[in-house]
Amino acid sequence: MSMRPEAELPFFFGPDDGLFGMYHAPDLPPRRAVLMCAPLGQDLIRCHRLYRQLAQTLAREGLAVLRFDYHGTGDSSGGSAEVDWERCVADTLVAAAELRKRARVDRVIGFGARLGGSIAMCAADRARLGEVIAWDPVLDGDGYVAALDAMQAALREDAERFTRPRSHADVAEQWLGFDIGDRLRGQLSALTLGAPNVPMLVLDSLPEWEASRWDRLASPRGKVAGISPPTPWNDLRRLETAILSQPLIQAVSGRLKESA
Amino acid sequence: MREEAHRFGRGRHLVGIAGVPEGAVGETGVIVLNAGLVHRIGPFRLHVELTRQLNAAGYPTLRFDLSTLGDSSATGGGQTRTQQVCADLDDAMTLLKERAGCERFVLVGLCSGAQNAHIVAATDPRVSGAVFLDGYAYRTLGYKLRHYLPRLVDPGRWSRLLRRRGAEAAAAKPASEPVFAVAPAPREEVIADFTGMVARGMKLYLVYSGGISNYFNHARQFRECFGRVMDHPAVTTRYVAETDHTYILTGDRARLLDGIGGWLTRNFPPAVAGRHA
Repeated sequence: MSMRPEAELPFFFGPDDGLFGMYHAPDLPPRRAVLMCAPLGQDLIRCHRLYRQLAQTLAREGLAVLRFDYHGTGDSSGGSAEVDWERCVADTLVAAAELRKRARVDRVIGFGARLGGSIAMCAADRARLGEVIAWDPVLDGDGYVAALDAMQAALREDAERFTRPRSHADVAEQWLGFDIGDRLRGQLSALTLGAPNVPMLVLDSLPEWEASRWDRLASPRGKVAGISPPTPWNDLRRLETAILSQPLIQAVSGRLKESA
Repeated sequence: MREEAHRFGRGRHLVGIAGVPEGAVGETGVIVLNAGLVHRIGPFRLHVELTRQLNAAGYPTLRFDLSTLGDSSATGGGQTRTQQVCADLDDAMTLLKERAGCERFVLVGLCSGAQNAHIVAATDPRVSGAVFLDGYAYRTLGYKLRHYLPRLVDPGRWSRLLRRRGAEAAAAKPASEPVFAVAPAPREEVIADFTGMVARGMKLYLVYSGGISNYFNHARQFRECFGRVMDHPAVTTRYVAETDHTYILTGDRARLLDGIGGWLTRNFPPAVAGRHA
């Protein structure tokens, strides 16, 4: 996709310049900005293209956008084993402040897919997000941890990937390509999220619709919208396939036009 | 060591991260190309771990996105993909020369990244070394014998195969969505390229994994595929049967990075890198 190169600026920011960000500047001074919170692990890599497409779409519609990587992820400093939930939330506050400074706006909307949505929800109050749009956010971390453990166990003897099954030691303390420390595992296992104290839109594309799934987010300011087709987040056979979704881009863009 | 985020290139269309160790001016720089469609951090962050480990050993590095991949845009110049890859690598070498004074470069690529690195390594005199991970390979007679003979003589395999076919027909697989793919190039052309590379003093490190067992299955296959040039002292080969194509297990990844680091240190010692023939 060809576009104004200078409209997208890669840079490091935050404490010790350790966080990587990509700022998408609209043509005209914006009135609102969107902070895109990445998911963690392999989801981050799978969503990279989609995050870029969404950022470019929103920038064309006049919003300033910041994509960024938490400490220990993407191009940011730190090793993958150092990823820490509290630090991800703290980095989101830093990124929100950076976005306000660059875009010269106060109103920042948070967006995130999977754990990125959960992080945006956790950071909403302290980062003063005006709204959160979360795509299939993880509300109960224990289920997420169990799913990743199961996929990692299946990976050990995945005949599509290995010529012969690997030892249990070879696959231990990792989730789908990334070292996982006890601390993050514990933090995610204990994760239980309710509705943030801001307007929220949940975009649901989980494979099996369960009407009660988002009940706890119900509030006068909470809304759930389904998008299809279902997104194969936890499919070992598609582990290295990019997640792309034009309906997601349309849903986010539509919501932001609605609330302009 | 510091990492710098850059937008660079003839159309300022490329995005990359340069790692510049203190006092590394004038040494050989290492440039890491995209693996398939994965953005510059690499599969499971492989390229981040690789470049930082090399920075710690004293090598300037650049991991970046080729045109239209990751965060890089198209130039819209109407070039072929090969011309675009060469021009992008020219931009990358120019940047690393500006930032760290590098005159010579080692290219690292996995799968289609190896293919792209090969194209540039075959023609650009500034490239003094290359690491090809699961690069070009061909099903040789030896491959077929190693692959099919054990199956032919194992009756258990026949019954398993028949059962599996039935199961596969019942449960349709998801649509094929390849992320990594290396288009074949004529074998004689690739052999000529390797021969030319070593003739001009390049050092090569070929690492192939068990993840490409559908066309490569033994260390002997380097020689079967590419002939005598594989015996040249400038060529180092390594076949790691147990690992997968993208090094998903962190232990496998660590061993790969140690192997690359060791090969670089032996062939391009940081203190004298860039001053070899």
